Amino acid sequence: MEILELNNISKSFGAIKALDNVTLSLRSGEVLGLMGDNGAGKSTLIKIIAGNFKQSSGTINFEKQKVEFSKPMEARDKGIEVVYQDLALCDNLTAASNIFLTREIKRNFGLIKIINFSEMFKRAKNIFKDLKSETLPDEEVKMMSGGQRQAVAIGRTKLSKAKVVLLDEPTAAISVRQVAEVLELIKQLKNQGIAVVIISHRMPDVFAVSDRIAVLRRGQLVANKLAKESSPEEVTALITGAIEKA
Amino acid sequence: MTEQTLEKNKKKIKISNLHEIGLLIALILVLLLFSFTTENFFTQRNFTSILRSASYVGLIAFPMTFVLITREIDISVGPSVAWSGLFFVILIKWYDFSYFSSAAIVILWGILLGYFIGIARTKLFIPTFITTLALWSALRGYSLFVTEGRPIAISNKDFRYLFGGDILGLPTVTWIMLGAFLVFWFASKYTVTGTNFYAVGGNPKAARNIGINVDRVKILALVGTSLFSAIVGILFVARVSSGNANLADGMEFDVIAAVVVGGTALGGAVGTMTGTLLGCVFIAMISNGLIHWGIDPDLNKVVKGIIIFLAVVINSNVTFKSNSGGPKED
Repeated sequence: MEILELNNISKSFGAIKALDNVTLSLRSGEVLGLMGDNGAGKSTLIKIIAGNFKQSSGTINFEKQKVEFSKPMEARDKGIEVVYQDLALCDNLTAASNIFLTREIKRNFGLIKIINFSEMFKRAKNIFKDLKSETLPDEEVKMMSGGQRQAVAIGRTKLSKAKVVLLDEPTAAISVRQVAEVLELIKQLKNQGIAVVIISHRMPDVFAVSDRIAVLRRGQLVANKLAKESSPEEVTALITGAIEKA
Repeated sequence: MTEQTLEKNKKKIKISNLHEIGLLIALILVLLLFSFTTENFFTQRNFTSILRSASYVGLIAFPMTFVLITREIDISVGPSVAWSGLFFVILIKWYDFSYFSSAAIVILWGILLGYFIGIARTKLFIPTFITTLALWSALRGYSLFVTEGRPIAISNKDFRYLFGGDILGLPTVTWIMLGAFLVFWFASKYTVTGTNFYAVGGNPKAARNIGINVDRVKILALVGTSLFSAIVGILFVARVSSGNANLADGMEFDVIAAVVVGGTALGGAVGTMTGTLLGCVFIAMISNGLIHWGIDPDLNKVVKGIIIFLAVVINSNVTFKSNSGGPKED
């Protein structure tokens, strides 16, 4: 099922056209690799989907319904979550506290509300189990590896029962072993029927997990094809402009 | 025990616990040192006196812990205590307010002052150091101007006995401080508000993105120190039966020293209420012991300066080694 459809999306910042008539759709359980050079419009597109920006023209359908997000909270409520490159984690808190931040499970004693840590640890443990990650819920994030940190950030999206997860450079600046861990996390999301968009400069990572590849160049969509019908060489050529369109 | 559980237990001893244990040991060593080298240190009377001064500092140090955790600072607390006490006495003596309504007005003043510091920080982007430095000067100056430097005495035995005396062998202010400790300790560990202080200090940008109202959290922390400065001002009046513009001289230093010695990082994110409590007792015990040694009060300040410096050195080494000091705010 098509969960997210972008129809003729354009976005201008003054005289600069960041996105030009982009039409793209996403199915549940599908991983889309979104590629392009710096300034090609990847981030702008993600921010429009996530409700940070409003498109200048074009429409977005989510689960076949037309949607308009004026702030990120509205996109999140629908089930669209973004995991940003900096992961937005608080290093001084535990993995569980990070996952549940602003959504803490509480016990009520009259007017006093107490955080129910044991329940949060239990649920966080299950989330990590679902993601097949060895992250400990009661460990502080500052002690964690890049892969585990990514698991915490992705764990947050599991809590909200996200249907679409947008990952911004999830494998940048982490070690090879941890890259494998993060790619495994993405596969787990896919297996659970979640649609994933991954933005990355690392060609091998994108090809390792993506079902489909979309390439943006100067705000235009120049390719949107199955990963197995493309190759890193072709995508590189599309990004640089050596091949006009595929 | 399997290797895995061993590993887990090892991790349970956190940096903060290490600091508290270390401080507790230091506290016992200092206690032994003064007990064996002076005659009158190890007496109930003297311990009561140490507890009393630790309690006044503690009442402000607990909210100050939250302020530092959220990466802010409030250096206006000393003059704020002096002015609050004076304001309380002025309302009673010059304007014939009752004790109760005077206290209510002074407490309201404390809340509004903290709110002002918070608004200046979050809406006008003035660093709290600057705002509270300005207040530090202004509040002390105004207090001196209004009273021409002379104390204003009040006489009310009931008020004095109730808030300035002892209950069950301990100073009343110590009971109040212990109550406040429990509330702050509980809030810091088990409530969303407490977690939010740590989250804002750990990564303000992330906290904001996730949906925490960072401005409100910071304002709340700053209202805490001002509110408790007002309360301590009133309690000081109960103790000395007068309002005095020179009261609580250098108290901001004792409060911040206690919090930092207790393991709270000046850069935010790290700190515990238990550490702060130990820090208050530690600072009070040192000040008291040095007097027993017959060291000049002015030199006492030098020693305190050295202690706060050493505490920060130890503190920052521990935190750097644990790879803390989270991301900078945008």
